[in-house]
Amino acid sequence: MDFSFPKEYQLFRRMVREFVENEVKPLAMVIDREHRVPHETIKKAAALGLMGVPFPAKYGGMGGGEMGYCILMEELGKVDSSTGTVIGAHIGIGAMAIYLDGTEEQKQKFLVPLAQGTAIAAFGLTEAQAGSDAAAIKTTAVRDGDDFVLNGAKVFITNGDIADIITVMAVTDPALGAYGGITAFIVETDSPGFSIGSLENKMGIRGSSTAECVFQDVRVPKENVLGQFGAGFLTFMKTLDIGRASLGAATLGGAEAAMEASIQWARAREQFGVPIATKQSVHFMIADMAVEIEALRSLIYRTAWLIDTGQPHILEASACKLFGSEVAHRCIDRAMQIHGALGYSRDHFIELGWRDQRISEIYEGTNEIQRIVIAANLFRPYGLRIPT
Amino acid sequence: MKIIVPIKQILDPSGVTVRRDKERIFINKEAYILEAGSKAAIEAALQVRDVDGGEHEIVAVSLGEPRADDALREALAMGCDEAYLLTDEAFQDADISVTTAVLAAAIEKLGGADLVIAGQASADTGSGQVGARLAEALGYACVTAVYELAQEAGGLQATRRWGTGYARVQVSLPAVVTVAPEAFPPRYAHGARIMDAYRKWEVTIWDASDLELGTGALQPLLSFRRESFPAPLEVGEKFQGDPAEVARDVVTALRIQNLIA
Amino acid sequence: MDFRLSEDQLMFKKMFADFCTKEIRPRGEHIDQAEEPPVELLQKAVDQGFWAALVPEELEGCGLDTYTYMLMLEELGRADLSTALILSVHNSLVVKPLLEHGTEEQREKYLEALAFGEMLGAFALTEAGAGSDAAALSMEAQRNGEGYVLNGTKIWVTNGAQAGLILVFARAPEGITAFLVEAETPGLTVGYREKTLGLRGAACNTLYFEQVAVPVGNRLGEEGQGLKIALQALDLSRLGMAALALGAAERSLEEAVKFSMEHIQFSVPIAQKQIIQNYIADAKAQIEALRCLVTHTAWLADTGQEFSQEASITKLFGARAATQVADRMLQVHGGYGYMKEYAIERYYRDCRALEIAEGTNQIQQFLIAKDIYQAEGLDIRP
Repeated sequence: MDFSFPKEYQLFRRMVREFVENEVKPLAMVIDREHRVPHETIKKAAALGLMGVPFPAKYGGMGGGEMGYCILMEELGKVDSSTGTVIGAHIGIGAMAIYLDGTEEQKQKFLVPLAQGTAIAAFGLTEAQAGSDAAAIKTTAVRDGDDFVLNGAKVFITNGDIADIITVMAVTDPALGAYGGITAFIVETDSPGFSIGSLENKMGIRGSSTAECVFQDVRVPKENVLGQFGAGFLTFMKTLDIGRASLGAATLGGAEAAMEASIQWARAREQFGVPIATKQSVHFMIADMAVEIEALRSLIYRTAWLIDTGQPHILEASACKLFGSEVAHRCIDRAMQIHGALGYSRDHFIELGWRDQRISEIYEGTNEIQRIVIAANLFRPYGLRIPT
Repeated sequence: MKIIVPIKQILDPSGVTVRRDKERIFINKEAYILEAGSKAAIEAALQVRDVDGGEHEIVAVSLGEPRADDALREALAMGCDEAYLLTDEAFQDADISVTTAVLAAAIEKLGGADLVIAGQASADTGSGQVGARLAEALGYACVTAVYELAQEAGGLQATRRWGTGYARVQVSLPAVVTVAPEAFPPRYAHGARIMDAYRKWEVTIWDASDLELGTGALQPLLSFRRESFPAPLEVGEKFQGDPAEVARDVVTALRIQNLIA
Repeated sequence: MDFRLSEDQLMFKKMFADFCTKEIRPRGEHIDQAEEPPVELLQKAVDQGFWAALVPEELEGCGLDTYTYMLMLEELGRADLSTALILSVHNSLVVKPLLEHGTEEQREKYLEALAFGEMLGAFALTEAGAGSDAAALSMEAQRNGEGYVLNGTKIWVTNGAQAGLILVFARAPEGITAFLVEAETPGLTVGYREKTLGLRGAACNTLYFEQVAVPVGNRLGEEGQGLKIALQALDLSRLGMAALALGAAERSLEEAVKFSMEHIQFSVPIAQKQIIQNYIADAKAQIEALRCLVTHTAWLADTGQEFSQEASITKLFGARAATQVADRMLQVHGGYGYMKEYAIERYYRDCRALEIAEGTNQIQQFLIAKDIYQAEGLDIRP
């Protein structure tokens, strides 16, 4: 057991840290206020290979695998969750679905520009009445000659309005249900009939857009069926399984930043004639943060290793997202408490972190769903299928 | 053109706390990094190539411990074509004269260079002598503290700091140029090059015998005795009194310092 | 022991609830987004007695006992926390100290204006270097002939920019002293408006005092009694914060119950899911425990007993309960809870202030422990 990071990853982390410190962190407050991540920032990230970190070089990627991707998300999580969400939805679910189940032609045509960052991806799963219950989707795809015709609406789609390519799940045979009746499609957003409905006004990650995507007689060539026809649900679940590890990595970064800020503020802030760093209440809050962060870091990178070495990882990835989001919640909440009224002020990044963090317990499967996934994995070997 | 860039790995200063009151240096995190001046030198070399897109070969060399391998791989990741690590137990106490001798020997073994670009002075020992002494040893021209660098017929045009202004000079090749770090903010290495730097590319290791250096050349002329701590500087000036007066005084003080018009 | 409300209390509760539900609740989202105190709404509330809750009946106020006052704050908390905080500060931290410590002249001069909507009250204690450690305040009050001159800066003053009358604490020769300062007094200027996570309708401002002359007649209580006056007012205010927390938690629960019956996942309303039922049940348990604490502490106050420690306990428990309930109820909403069109998003942000404002949880913990050890003869330091 060697727990040290391979040297290329150490250097990669240093590069990413310098990049996010210089190019992203100074913009975090502005990104929140103006509700967008500057296109320039994404372009700069793309120029360093950061829009395709996990994918192999032959698909335009950086060849960093899940470990490299988790490092990227951790470092982004330290400075700005909006930027992390834009890049995370692009790599971790949007492009990932094509990488996992795309044909060689689809990868050359779609994954290469995505990995190089010249195109942006989104992941079209959730609908108004199909969130946690993804199999309840209503969007339909009907065969017409060499095309499929898509109709329906997806909601809460991260990057929906900036994406060039959306991987979309649609019902192809209502009679067959989730397994057999749902197919994944690669949809180019310049297709006629595709439009953006409303944009959500959110508590946090306000720089990352959450769009309603409307499909009205959108024609998709049959070459754009992603994975096996009728097996779309599997493609999407597989994608989400992997995506959860990197979401956990982002929460790790957020938790670390919260702890670091707490240490520095506790050293500086004096009450009752001494720095509050001398107070036991503060010690215990910070010690608890440190313990949870260490546990989380081990979980994240062990899971990345499982993924990179092709081992089963569904339970672990789900644990990364579940545990990570709750650790980050506790850490940023304690950090706000240590900062007192200052932490409640929108002039301080703790306040931003507090709002941004909360979504990590909800998106890409609420923590309740994660617990169901984990329990299902534990009962399945005994032949017990747990109801949802 | 063949450009050789001597680089240096140093202890990361962000992990070091200097406690004047205790007359001690505390290392809270021992990590080694490619020194900022060296990064600027690599950047300057890469910019020469960027400008004309020519077939320039950029070679990084470093005298140091085996761990300096990491600094050289970072140089490769940034864009250098080859990397040489000059390491030997006999180099351990290297002072400036030994450092110069080793680097000069390495450059000779590489068949010499058209241009050597180095940092102006390292962030740790910072003697600022290596560039000039290397030029002397190799018989090359030398320009220090360069802010701008451009190729022109028959050599280089360099702009260097001169008093409170600048001087533009013409240099014939081969030459040694040392660069001002603030003038060449280094690029970020591309992620894929970082992966390749460790997975694909090699760092060549040369020891004293590879460089055919006898013990005479490796005899240091200087040795380190101890560090001491200067008294802390009184930084800043405190203004007190009526707010309107204080404001006036501050403005006056800034004017005197030529910081505002 | 009789936990039933009296007829009077029932009547007041209904009156407050009516106004809160009809007038305040529908404006909650707008108040949050506009980030401005709801001036017109507050004026409307004057007629319903919200400004005169504690003013005795003989002065045409509501003359509420502490418990009924808590019912009012609970209803306000349920409708909108920003509006609730504005009125809580006004009543608990300005009207009440004036009633308790004011001279006949002072009451004569200010009570009517405070009770009937001419003057909103603000409470200026916190300074940059004196937050949790209020005794460390550095604002000066120098004696000057027949009065005082105040110099210094107060921060995080709720209602600071809207107030007509500000209760200010400053260091006089004999110690910390309370002053009633009219907003129009020369030398007093309103500074930076804090931008906050929640409670965005309740404005917090910095107040600058530069050579502010205050006549001796506007000194509240004796010189040196200021800290005592402040702490006493804070006792009531802390209890009030717990009542706001109670109302907020009830509202959060209400929103989640409604949502969970409407939102279908896996072919059933999510209310049919055990985990949702557990969240709802836990929230209700916390709410009822908090209600008992508020009721008991109010009873102590109304029967003239010491309730300082209980106020801290109630506030500590209440603030935590409110944030925890809001958090779980937001989780019930899933992605919708993160969107501003749902009230829970606002309540989640608003409630978080309760763990910081008017003494952080850590200060409440210290005050409670201090009381416990004091009874054993040991003085503890924070």
